[in-house]
Amino acid sequence: MPETVHPHPDRATTAGLMPALELAAGEGLLEAASLDDMDEAAILPGALHAAVETLRSFGFMHLLDVGGTDHLPLTPRFEVSYHFATIDPMRRDPKAPVSRFRLRVFPQDQDPVVPSLTKYWPSADWAEREVYDLFGVRFDGHPDLKRILMPDDWEGHPLRKDYPLRGTRQNFVPGGRVGPIPPTRD
Amino acid sequence: MIDLSAYTDNPDINLSPGAASDTLVLSMGPQHPSTHGVLRVMLKLDGETVVEAEPELGFLHTGIEKQAENLFWQQAVTVVDRADYLAPLSNSLCYVLAAERLLGIDNVPKRAQVQRVIFTELTRIASHLVWLGTHAIDLGAMSNFFYAFEMRERILRIMEFVTGARMHQSWFRIGGVALDVPKGFLALLDEFIVAFPPRLADLRAILEGNVIMMDRLVGVGTIDATDAIAWGLTGPSLRATGVAYDVRKAFPYSGYDEYDFEVPTHDGGDCYSRFLVRVREMHEAWRIIKQARERFPGGPVTIDDRKIVSPPKTEIQHSMEALIHHFKLVSSGFNIPEGHIYNCVESPRGELGMYVTSAGGNKPWRVRWRPPSFYNLQALKRLAPGNLIADVVAIIGSLDPVFGEVDR
Repeated sequence: MPETVHPHPDRATTAGLMPALELAAGEGLLEAASLDDMDEAAILPGALHAAVETLRSFGFMHLLDVGGTDHLPLTPRFEVSYHFATIDPMRRDPKAPVSRFRLRVFPQDQDPVVPSLTKYWPSADWAEREVYDLFGVRFDGHPDLKRILMPDDWEGHPLRKDYPLRGTRQNFVPGGRVGPIPPTRD
Repeated sequence: MIDLSAYTDNPDINLSPGAASDTLVLSMGPQHPSTHGVLRVMLKLDGETVVEAEPELGFLHTGIEKQAENLFWQQAVTVVDRADYLAPLSNSLCYVLAAERLLGIDNVPKRAQVQRVIFTELTRIASHLVWLGTHAIDLGAMSNFFYAFEMRERILRIMEFVTGARMHQSWFRIGGVALDVPKGFLALLDEFIVAFPPRLADLRAILEGNVIMMDRLVGVGTIDATDAIAWGLTGPSLRATGVAYDVRKAFPYSGYDEYDFEVPTHDGGDCYSRFLVRVREMHEAWRIIKQARERFPGGPVTIDDRKIVSPPKTEIQHSMEALIHHFKLVSSGFNIPEGHIYNCVESPRGELGMYVTSAGGNKPWRVRWRPPSFYNLQALKRLAPGNLIADVVAIIGSLDPVFGEVDR
């Protein structure tokens, strides 16, 4: 599939990126596509560091975002999406072109693990903690992987699709007693 | 000696008795007036100098991303609004544009686009005014807070006049805006356009070059462009390091490429540069509003697609077909074809992105935020060490985090 993908015409700065990425990721490259918003590649966790080093050599020095998605009941279930942008420290013209690129990493369903990007970007720290907190995807090599939004003693990962909207904990009632779980809407 | 080790689970901080250490751990917040919300910063201090700052989040976590997955595409606009509560319309604009791009809608009427620009730029000014007022209060200047909030009050009154809500307007819809502006809106807007520049000049006269401001901000919390990019900064915080990156220019949306405005930058990278960039941005936002007011075109404010936008109320009252469309939209929404998209807008705080995934149903499968405040605030870990404890307040203020957005 990768050889049929051509970069979007107005993404001149990333010409040559796809073949380089294919070479770097090797067997780990699942799919590549050129979409309306940006080019993207789907890879296995093992190829992440090689892919990221290729992207950095092409000037993708800004890690915009690390996010998670739960595709249950599809497999692979978890997706960790990385968005990169070519923002240069010497950028002085606001209209100069910026390229963006998305990596979609699909770890295994049982015990999902993805290598951490904290050694490349300090900004990956909190973003990876959030994905861990809300999806339970672990980041190998993260210096301090702990919950960030939910309380430290929380059980479960709320943004997983099998986690009910109203939560799993029993309702707190003033006076110390415990009430029933509130009914869900659907 | 009291054993304090139970008070922290941070293994780097040793509070056990007898631990030879000259540093003191201080918990700042979560209920501290200058943390602008509910932020707790664990500060490791050597005398009055910060050695390490570790922000703790989550006090305002309301599960907005989870809620958005459980509402129809159109309904989710209301919860999306609640993330960045100082600039709610930037959130909805980002979400609405993402949904429109997934649907392939590219014919949103000019009148709706101009209204979207006017309202988001008004929000930008209102948000920056809150920042300016509270930031100056943090530094000990009280009176300009009233100047700033008086002006913000005018903007909120315009919002209320049009949308009926002061804070969470939820005014944008997939395919346009909720309703056309009422009569009298343009007169109110004109009043604002005339009244704003002198008030901004007042505020600048009080604060810019003010000795106390300079003393508190210049050279405090300095970061260079390379570091700012590595830490994921966007928006005014990035532009204060000289990097001219603004989503409105780099990836124009809603017709921003047709407006004439500058992207203010400053090379200092310190708190004072961030202050200058935001103040100048307010002036640019005013220029955009002025241009939008001049061109304010006529015509419809929504696309003409009954599968997406409800028909006008007058038509529903006598047309069976219109009633059915309305009923279908309210009871089961509309489907968006399978796909995913990353859409971003320039919120007052930086690049606000949403990575929206659709599984083909009538609800978003996943709405992933890229909250600019989240990444900007993270840089506190890099900015605070080496500064005095009083400067931490100035640095937090200059990053302008909004905790509804950080914690979502």
